[in-house]
Amino acid sequence: MDNLVYILFICLVAPLALMVLMLRKRSRLLVGYMLIGIFVSLFVSELNTVLLGWFGNDVLYVTTTITPISEEILKALPILFYAIVFSDDRERVMPIAFALGVGFAMFENMVVLVQNVENVTIGWSIIRGFATALMHAVCTVMVGYSICFVRKKKKLFYCGTFALLALAMIYHGIFNMLVQSDYSYLGFFLPSVTYIPILLMHYRYYKSKRNA
Amino acid sequence: MKLILISNIITCVCAFAGFTYGIVRFFKPRKAVYAQMIALSVGCVAFGRLYQVVRLLTGGDMFNGFQLGVLGVIGSLMFLFSANFGAMDSLADDKSKTLGKYRIIALSAPAAALVLYILFICFTDLPRSVKIASALVTVFVMQASYFHLKHLILPDVDYGIINCLKTYNLLALIYTFLCMAETVFIGLNNEIGILIVGILTGCVLIGIVAALQRGIKKWTI
Repeated sequence: MDNLVYILFICLVAPLALMVLMLRKRSRLLVGYMLIGIFVSLFVSELNTVLLGWFGNDVLYVTTTITPISEEILKALPILFYAIVFSDDRERVMPIAFALGVGFAMFENMVVLVQNVENVTIGWSIIRGFATALMHAVCTVMVGYSICFVRKKKKLFYCGTFALLALAMIYHGIFNMLVQSDYSYLGFFLPSVTYIPILLMHYRYYKSKRNA
Repeated sequence: MKLILISNIITCVCAFAGFTYGIVRFFKPRKAVYAQMIALSVGCVAFGRLYQVVRLLTGGDMFNGFQLGVLGVIGSLMFLFSANFGAMDSLADDKSKTLGKYRIIALSAPAAALVLYILFICFTDLPRSVKIASALVTVFVMQASYFHLKHLILPDVDYGIINCLKTYNLLALIYTFLCMAETVFIGLNNEIGILIVGILTGCVLIGIVAALQRGIKKWTI
């Protein structure tokens, strides 16, 4: 049998890619960035295998220290590209950052599913579906926030992006460490705790914009 | 190791308290990005410490090679530097020759950090990974401390903004040197030192957000 990860990748990407052609403007952008997230996830899954080899197959060290760095940098690049080339408007950048994070998490869940197909349950899928998707989305949104300054305030952009990238890496590392420990339930709880304030701030931002 | 865990828990709780206060106060529409960056700086410390707490509780240690907790310190220093360099410095310093002496005096802060680092690596026999990690922290301490000392001694040119933030800048300057002190104590594996620095850092972080809030309030008066 061919590599199952690639089979899943084609099954997921092909219909979405065809759908993108039918969509217009904002919806095309969102689904397009979700697709890019899936591409990045595939690339990262291959890269992580290489990194694992470099660090002596120490899965715990690599997943809690190295992969948060590689994944967050690779997820940030497409958003940075959009902000530089097309628009750095926060109302455009934040949704695509979220879409990219969700696309990334969707495919990552599939890779994990394929690798642990004997042990997965409905409970696993509910927890992973909510927690991992939210974690990746929250991390990408964090970095996306500072990328919005790319044209407006260059000084803030350079340092702020680096600092928020560091914050996203730490957050990602904490999540990976918790879900592999005896306190895994805390790991699944963490993204929800951070997602709610972000959601509230997001609504408040739009409300104030509408009132202005 | 227990003292290091306690130190990290204390700093983490204090930093989270400061971060939450900062989020509530500064993350509102039309609030200064400057203040938001300081709140995020404290948030970086909070998450960095949380990472170290979780790492210690799940059987890892802080001394074996690179760990992401260091990024918490670097991220926080980067935010402090970014807030000053990107938002505040252009308002505080009009680049005139009369302020030249203040710019030169402010260089003493990064110079002190550099001297501390050189002494640290000269008089201790440490692995290369520790020296590199300490060098990284030193670089970020140097750039952040320069602006904090500069804004502390600089006379107010136009807007009266800097005068309101003297306490904040003093506390932030202390914080940058506490980061340096912690790096030294971690390198020396001195648990008592790490605990003392951890407690002080926690107190200073809460003070930073409170002083900033008080200073910013005066901007509108």
